Amino acid sequence: MSEGGLGKGAVLLYAITAVITLFLLVPLLFPIALSFSDTPFVVFPPQGFTLQWYWKVLNEPDFTSPFLFSVQLGIFSAIGALLLGTPTAMGLVRYSFPGRGLIQGLVLSPLVFPMLVTGIALLRLFTSINSHSSLTNLVIGHTLVTVPYVIRTVSASLLLIDPSIEDAARTLGATRAQTFWRITRPQIVPGLFAGGIFAFVTSFDNYAISMWLADAENFPMPMAMFALISRMFDPGIAAIASLMILMSILIVVVLERLTGLQRAMSV
Amino acid sequence: MAVAEALPANTDRGGAFAAFFGGRTLGAVMLLAPAVLFFVVVFVIPVGLMIRYSFYQQTTTGDLTASATLANYARLASVDLYRTVVMTTLRVSAWTTLIAMLLAYPLALVMVRGNALVGRALTVIVLAPLLINVVVRTYAWRVILANGENGVLNWTLAHVGLGPVRLLYTEWAVIIGSVHVFLPMMVLPLSAALGKINPSVEEAARTLGANSWSVFRRVTLPLSVPGLAVGATLVFSLTASSFVTPALLGGNFAKMLGTLVEEQILTVFDWPFGAAIATLLTVIVMIVNLGSVWLVERRFPSRASEAH
Repeated sequence: MSEGGLGKGAVLLYAITAVITLFLLVPLLFPIALSFSDTPFVVFPPQGFTLQWYWKVLNEPDFTSPFLFSVQLGIFSAIGALLLGTPTAMGLVRYSFPGRGLIQGLVLSPLVFPMLVTGIALLRLFTSINSHSSLTNLVIGHTLVTVPYVIRTVSASLLLIDPSIEDAARTLGATRAQTFWRITRPQIVPGLFAGGIFAFVTSFDNYAISMWLADAENFPMPMAMFALISRMFDPGIAAIASLMILMSILIVVVLERLTGLQRAMSV
Repeated sequence: MAVAEALPANTDRGGAFAAFFGGRTLGAVMLLAPAVLFFVVVFVIPVGLMIRYSFYQQTTTGDLTASATLANYARLASVDLYRTVVMTTLRVSAWTTLIAMLLAYPLALVMVRGNALVGRALTVIVLAPLLINVVVRTYAWRVILANGENGVLNWTLAHVGLGPVRLLYTEWAVIIGSVHVFLPMMVLPLSAALGKINPSVEEAARTLGANSWSVFRRVTLPLSVPGLAVGATLVFSLTASSFVTPALLGGNFAKMLGTLVEEQILTVFDWPFGAAIATLLTVIVMIVNLGSVWLVERRFPSRASEAH
């Protein structure tokens, strides 16, 4: 489509858009710029150039152990969300029955319900049943809030494939499990992949659930960084922020290559 | 003859019966039961228990009082400090929503109507920050808004000869940070709504002599209301229930419900009062959600059902 679609105000509109784009992107450049500063404190403008802060934080257990814990938590939660979300998506897409809308509303509700409150409710539950393993509690909590993403991406994939192929396999004598594994699964791989990555990223970035369920030993990355902000004054904190921005950029590139970012985020 | 007539009806009824109680329903139950069970046990029941908790009080031994009471809510409504927190939460969320709307509109318009390449690049630019951790994005704003000469903004202002501003630890810092964090949630539904508008409707208005501004005001804007409503609901709800942004940018000077509830539960250990704050937060978010659905359904009966 040409600029004609925007009418006469096109130039003005592009200019305004450019300014807003800068507002979105430029703030993310400052931690990167400050992370190279050769000063004992975070200062602006940054002075000199050094990579020592990256070296320092990569050898800092306050950074590395929460990072590894978050990776572990993200993987467990993504597996949980895929195991729970994939059959749910199939049930919702392939069958129609009374109460279908209600179930769909229920399983997608963590997306609109205030997550902070979900976390409080979970803490209440785990306290009353004396469940003190914070890794287990966190995996359950993160699975709850990441399942909706898997349901959305897998549903989108299921809607694209022809259900009569599944019916044919069943008619020819395949069991439900065989039909899923040999017919359905290969066709919904993009949805499973996007859902899994999304569940991992959502878990990795989660704060509102983790802040209630973490304990002193099991400390996910975002909480560690939150704590370091008020405790670490050298550019190491900027280096951590830069590393996390870099990781997000890699994920954006992977998602864009795999399914297209827009489709993966199902908008 | 009579048999032949009755047969198709019979098989039909039998078929429906089998489909409902036989194999197909069994399949649906098997597929959906695990998730439904999981959601009821770790979501529905705990939220219900938490709301119930808000109607009790804690004795000095940490046990709950025997009878239900509205004391926690009365405290929330009567103590000045807590009233201020509620008002700050509503004010910050409202400003964030309004500013996000104003910024999202041009972005969404260019994404949908502009040059295809620019639109695609813009989509990535808008979506990508969603994948960057909220703590990292908020940290970036701390660096920019820092009070004193080390803040990026104040350093820049000093170099163009303007006085320093004190922004960090104010409501405006929270609003600026929240707009940056939640803007994508406004742009996405808005661009989806704009994408559904048939360009020939705008073309027709233009042919009939309307200038760009009146086409926008009389055609595009009213037709995009459903998208704006969804975006506004999302941004308002997310801002009202956020913790990281008010904690890092507002500190003790712009306390919001999220930071108050954290303090009450994790520091003061006053569970019932914390549960009351959390319930209030839920009620606010639900009112905003239902309100926007009601507004859109009243003005756009057909479009609202389309969106579901």
